[in-house]
This record gives sequence, C-alpha cells and structure tokens, in this order.
Amino acid sequence: MGEQKLSFDDVAVGDEAPVLTHELTRTDLVKYAGASGDFNPMHHDETLAKAAGQPSVFGHGMFSMGLLGTALTDYVGIGNLTRFSVRFARQTWPDEVLSSRIVVTARREEDGRKLVDLAVTLANAEGEQKVVGEATAELSDPG
Amino acid sequence: MSDEVVSEEVLKGIIGKSTGTSKVVVERGPVTHFADAVRSASPIYHDPAAAKAAGFDAIPAPPTWPFVMDFSGKFPEMQVGDTPSPHPLATVLGPLLASGALLLHGEQEFIYHRPVVVGDVLVGKGSIVDAYRKESKGKTMTFVVSQTDWSDEATGEPVVTVRYNTICRA
Repeated sequence: MGEQKLSFDDVAVGDEAPVLTHELTRTDLVKYAGASGDFNPMHHDETLAKAAGQPSVFGHGMFSMGLLGTALTDYVGIGNLTRFSVRFARQTWPDEVLSSRIVVTARREEDGRKLVDLAVTLANAEGEQKVVGEATAELSDPG
Repeated sequence: MSDEVVSEEVLKGIIGKSTGTSKVVVERGPVTHFADAVRSASPIYHDPAAAKAAGFDAIPAPPTWPFVMDFSGKFPEMQVGDTPSPHPLATVLGPLLASGALLLHGEQEFIYHRPVVVGDVLVGKGSIVDAYRKESKGKTMTFVVSQTDWSDEATGEPVVTVRYNTICRA
C-alpha cells in the first residue's frame, strides 16, 4: 500500500529530492497550532513570547518536521515511509526561508523489501540547520 | 544541590513504567486540516478517489500525524482510564519545571508498520523507555524518552511506534 512515485530501480546513492522551500509566517504557526492542538503561546502570542525573553514567536519543532515529512512524501510517495527520525537543533523564526535537503544515503534489499535510506535536513537561507534526521522508505517497482 | 531536585533513584525509577492506554479515531476533517497545515498539496489527503487510485482503502494521514492524533480523536467515552497517577513523566518533569528548568522537544521518531488511514481506530500503549542525565556547559540536561506503540483495534496488528525525547534543561 502506498503512492507509486519513485521507482527503486531509478534511485542511486547521492540522489537528492526536489527542494521544498517555504518562508515561515505567523499564519503557518496559527494553522499548525489549530491542526495539532499545540497551543503553547510561545508559538502564537507575540506579547507573551517577548515577555519571556524571546525576540518573537517561534515555530513548533513539529511544524518543521511536518514540512520535512511533506518534502519526503513528495519524493518517495505517501504511505511508503518505514521510519522518520529527527533531532531539533535550533528554533525557527517568522520570515525565515526554510529549505529541505533530502539525500539518498543507501539503497538496499532486506528480506525481499526494497529500502532506501535518506538523510534529511531543514535549514534557513544562511544554511543554519534547524532539524536534522533520517528516514527510510520502502519502494516497490511497478508491475 | 540543583541536580538533586530529582534524585537518581526517582529518575531511573520511571524507566519501563506505563503512561497508560489511549484510544483514538482517525477522522477525515482533522487529517485534511493537518495535511494543509504541514503544507502538502497532494490530492491524496483531500480526495477519497485520489487516495483509492494511489492504492489506499481510505485517505491516509501525513507522516507526523500520529504525534497529534490524540488531540482530535481521543474521545473520553472510549478511554479505558488506566492513566497512572502520579504520571511518571510528571514525577520527573514536574519538580524540574517548578524549579525553573526549561522544557525542550529534543528528538522525535516514527516507525511505521503500515500507513494510518481515515477510519482507523487505534490503541496506543504508552511507556517510558529511557531516562538519563547529562552535564553540558555547566547545565544539567535531563532526558526522558516516552514511547507509544499504536496498534489496530480491530486486528491487533502494529501500526506505528512514536518515540518522543523530552529534554529538561536546568
């Protein structure tokens, strides 16, 4: 079960997925808060965030991981991930331009399953890494 | 003294402890809103016909959905009510937060056994899988790793494992 998007035969180590780029807005944070139920005011209430010593509201780590998830499924197809793991390295800020980078690090067959390992990062325009992790997708070949 | 807010015995004592069972229903509206919120443009999250054409029985959920599915799908009348009191996470994080420590989401991991789809009723068994301390730049970092193993209520088959690493910096 899964969207056919990438064929195992067409993947090579070192391949990179199309880059997903997005300029973070406060509306993104409000939408993510509403959709996830994470109403920590540091992500939507500028007054409280500044009172807590932050320069402004900042992004949910899980919004960044969600954005990377979208970049991943755009590449390997929805429903094909077997693992997705990240470390949250830095906060994200409104008006930052965030870009995904997804690189194929291994292509392997295990118990008849065709697996592709990927290194994933989300960074701002200055190259500061926000989220760093890895993922594995199981691919099938058409026919 | 500050690193004695929570003793080593209390910290290690929560490892292996249950955090209770959750039961959730996966519904189309919340899944679609979530897909929009993480900026997916795929019709598969919106259109049952597109989901079918891609090989799914129903609209699937985005990869990070299992982290948030408690929020919209955990109806009170479905719960078995075995959440421990005191909650093991609160046993450690409560006193640390009260002493002014900062709570951070350090790491997040999903292990997928099959895609989560609309219509699923899932049972999640929660537990604390690790708890440890590290000194970093004169600060005490307390790590607690929580895990929820979600399975299909109808078949008992595993669906997704969600692992969450909380860091408390004092």
